[in-house]
Amino acid sequence: MSSSPSSRTTAFALHALGSSARAFDGVAEAVADVLDVHAIDLPGFGDAAGMTGTSIPESVRHVERAIRRSGATRWILIGHSMGGKIASVVAARALAGESELFGLAGVVLLAASPPSPEPMEEERRRDMLSWAADGRLDADAARTFVDANVGARLHPDADALALDDVQRTSAAAWTAWLEDGSREDLTDAVGTLDLPALILAGGEDGDLGEDAQRRLNGSVYPRASVEALGGTGHLLPLERPLDVAHAVRDFWESTAGIGPAVPADVAAVIASPRTSARTRGLLARRAVADDPHATPAALTDVQLATLRVLADRIVPQDGAGIDIALRVDAQLAAGGGDGWRNADLPPDREAYATALDALAPLRTHSPREIDAVITRLAAGEYDEHDALSAAQFAAWFEDARVDLVRQWLAHPATMARIGFDGFANGGDDVFTGFAILGADEREDWEMLPVIAR
Amino acid sequence: MNLTDMRTFADDEIVDAVVVGTGAGGAPLLAALAARGLRVVALEAGDNTDPHDHTPDEIAAADDINWMDERLSGGETPTAFGPNNSGRGVGGSTLHWGAFAPRPSAHDLRLRSESGLGEDWPIDHDELVAYIERVERFAGVSGPSHYPWDPDRRYLFPPVARNASSDMMMRGCEALGIRATDAPAALVTRDHDHDHGGHRSACANCGTCHQGCRNGSKVSMDTTYLPQAVAHGAEIRAGSMVHGIERDASGAVTAVVYRRDGVDHRQRCTNLFLCAGGIETPRLLLHTGVGNSSGQVGRNFMAHGGVQVWGRFEQEMRGYRGYPSSIITEDFVRPADADFAGGYLIQSLGVMPLTLATTLVRGAGLWGRELVDAMDDYRFMAGVGINGECLPSDGNLLELSDEVDDDGIPKARISFSAGGNEDAIDRHAIRTLTSIVEAAGATSTMVLPRTAHTLGTARMGTDRERAVIDPDGRSFDVPNLWICDNSVFPSSLVANPALTTMALSLRTADRFLASHKP
Ligand SMILES: Cc1cc2nc3c(=O)[nH]c(=O)nc-3n(C[C@H](O)[C@H](O)[C@H](O)COP(=O)(O)OP(=O)(O)OC[C@H]3O[C@@H](n4cnc5c(N)ncnc54)[C@H](O)[C@@H]3O)c2cc1C
Ligand code: SF4
Repeated sequence: MSSSPSSRTTAFALHALGSSARAFDGVAEAVADVLDVHAIDLPGFGDAAGMTGTSIPESVRHVERAIRRSGATRWILIGHSMGGKIASVVAARALAGESELFGLAGVVLLAASPPSPEPMEEERRRDMLSWAADGRLDADAARTFVDANVGARLHPDADALALDDVQRTSAAAWTAWLEDGSREDLTDAVGTLDLPALILAGGEDGDLGEDAQRRLNGSVYPRASVEALGGTGHLLPLERPLDVAHAVRDFWESTAGIGPAVPADVAAVIASPRTSARTRGLLARRAVADDPHATPAALTDVQLATLRVLADRIVPQDGAGIDIALRVDAQLAAGGGDGWRNADLPPDREAYATALDALAPLRTHSPREIDAVITRLAAGEYDEHDALSAAQFAAWFEDARVDLVRQWLAHPATMARIGFDGFANGGDDVFTGFAILGADEREDWEMLPVIAR
Repeated sequence: MNLTDMRTFADDEIVDAVVVGTGAGGAPLLAALAARGLRVVALEAGDNTDPHDHTPDEIAAADDINWMDERLSGGETPTAFGPNNSGRGVGGSTLHWGAFAPRPSAHDLRLRSESGLGEDWPIDHDELVAYIERVERFAGVSGPSHYPWDPDRRYLFPPVARNASSDMMMRGCEALGIRATDAPAALVTRDHDHDHGGHRSACANCGTCHQGCRNGSKVSMDTTYLPQAVAHGAEIRAGSMVHGIERDASGAVTAVVYRRDGVDHRQRCTNLFLCAGGIETPRLLLHTGVGNSSGQVGRNFMAHGGVQVWGRFEQEMRGYRGYPSSIITEDFVRPADADFAGGYLIQSLGVMPLTLATTLVRGAGLWGRELVDAMDDYRFMAGVGINGECLPSDGNLLELSDEVDDDGIPKARISFSAGGNEDAIDRHAIRTLTSIVEAAGATSTMVLPRTAHTLGTARMGTDRERAVIDPDGRSFDVPNLWICDNSVFPSSLVANPALTTMALSLRTADRFLASHKP
């Protein structure tokens, strides 16, 4: 892979209440070989303590602006505690195409506040509010707050930083989160976020511990794996920077980063106002990596494995692949056909199941042997099974090829590969269309195709 | 479209007319009846969409505006449904049609008289053209200032911009001495305001007509006739799937039963207009057992020949930019060397990637490296395709299958086998298309067979033994049942169907109004 800045992946990190971007320094250093961590001071915290718009929507816009300004086109979000709630909103808006951002590949939550109201004892809330009643948070408050949130004493440097960050926090932001932000119910606005996700919990954390994470964030992120760090309180990035870094790196390499990357210039066009929000959202959701451990929804495990073997031959993909077989499985489960089927075939799911059962032995065959079978399937000469006639196999196989190739082409990385930019033919505010239509001509905004001629 | 302030009727109110389906066949007559002050309700199975919400994304667009309920397709050459030929939604198939809008020729309507094959239309060409001109003027059709095959013809709007496929076809035709020019396209090339208040922006050459026009440029019923209908007091009920027809002792229709959000409703009416399209109209008639004393309902299913030839060029063509089919030649409407009845039109082709890949698999049988290589060549490809005559044939028909859909209605099973005449047209067309593409400089060519449109399953005729409706559009069996959509076509015509269907719709309204006693 090239290492030009824009093709590196960025992890945008959002800190907790009373904390700041600096809290991620340790994590950033330890993952620097695979990810650029770009931690953001949220309004009212750290270097942004002077900012006044500290509500959740304002914080979300602030984060989106920072991501847009960075030019990142492939990125993940890391959200710690309060920052986790904001990360979930940013993620939801990105996947819906609402934020003129493109390239979100995954979300990491660290002891995160959920989109629903955060569980918090009223007494604790009242105490914490009282610390800021006189307009600033003092050293005593900071000491009490940090001590209440760690599993064991922090390393002295981290401790000093944590205490300083609490005292840097604007009282208004502190109060706004405790009184409003933490209580806001954004469950509906966020919905479920079907993308690679990692949820880390502190084994000794209180209200936002492992159990709460599974219940409140696990339901938002159906794909998330939830892990607890033993002996750890609430301040994960400060308490266990190396363990967090290790988990983030593993998440990127095994889960979030395994799909094909959409080239940076194409991603920028998708993010731009030339592309409608709805279209951007469709492409954003298709661009996230497939779940390598997904349980098939319509097929059995063996049927899916057989379809994957066929898919590799029908649509050979170079490099990081799209799991088009899994995507066809999802399409079958959703009942989404193409409006018709060959009258000689049983209903789609049944046809797939029957044909794939019959072809299951192919899983252990060599590519050459598989190709020989495919040739006969396509020609209507495959008559080795009672389950379907040769003509039925041919009809099913035609449908299967169409389904597979469409899933391949629907991915924005494939659109980029074949030089198709028709998705950017008009946005929501100005309907641009195309001004230049001739052969060998292109408009300034049009990106060059990935495959050279 | 905006339906918020429309007039509404109660289910038990006896309205003057219920119109089933809001596509090319239903919308113009709905507007015409409403304009005469009739109380009319349109029942539309699909959803109401806002043009702004369409997306160029092929998968999402198909789910939005195509008829995706499963149909069974059989015969020797099964035809593809779904995004290939059927719409669903307020506006019907005009939401996603290609807006290629040629007029039928006088020969088209006299196919049997002139060739001894197929059927004649029981309608005079001049009369039909007068209605077509009304549609062109109201809805807005663009075209060349000089139409070589009909020099007197005038279009209201200047032709739509040419793209690389257009230049290619012009080049190839010129080299071969074939006359070709800007195609009649049912879209506005200048901003246009309708009397009933609708604004249409000039075509922006976005290229995704088949995914729904977000610009209001393309003639779609939801931006033309339906707003006019609503302005005149029609009600449009979206999400309402008609599955029953109630009749009195005399056999006259008294109400229709439709399902909306899983609940059955009954709308009472004094007249019923079926405009549900070439598949759903016969399916509903067969399901309800109405109007079929001739046994002709579902018979004579026709699908236009739609073979395409694609060339690979040295230049990047990227034909997804611009209106997809902006060049036409009518030189082959009746080719001199024909060994078949009828003929074909040729148009230039732009195509979206998923649509092309689907045709590469279904039409050319590609897979593996060949398929991927073909798609890697996508941007170098440009093509031409036909709309070709299809003769009515006994074996080509729509029946009810044993399988039922989610609403408990039997699924349609369509059998279609191309006959000798269709094969002969295809052979002729493939020769012509290939020579055009080669003359334009293609380094290699690929033939992609396909068929399009759903015609003829409730045909119009003068003989009640051989047709379902009379020349006015009225059912031979049920006096207050009228049918107007692609199913009424006695022959397929060489011209693409929608403009004719809209014209028929206005004509059906006039015929009905002439006989209607308030
Ligand atoms: C991809 C594509 C491109 C095309 N391009 C062109 C072109 O360039 N030029 C051309 O002339 N033609 C074209 N056509 C064909 C054209 O769109 C149709 O010929 C025309 O719209 C048919 O009109 P119709 O009234 O018969 O049916 P439709 O327009 O399909 O309308 C039927 C309506 O009835 C509704 N309906 C069906 N059943 C029921 C029920 N039981 N209850 C309630 N509502 C129901 C449907 O939802 C639908 O909205 C194209 C078609 C396709 C698919
Ligand atoms: S090409 Fe023109 S008519 Fe077609 S969808 Fe785009 S703007 Fe509408």
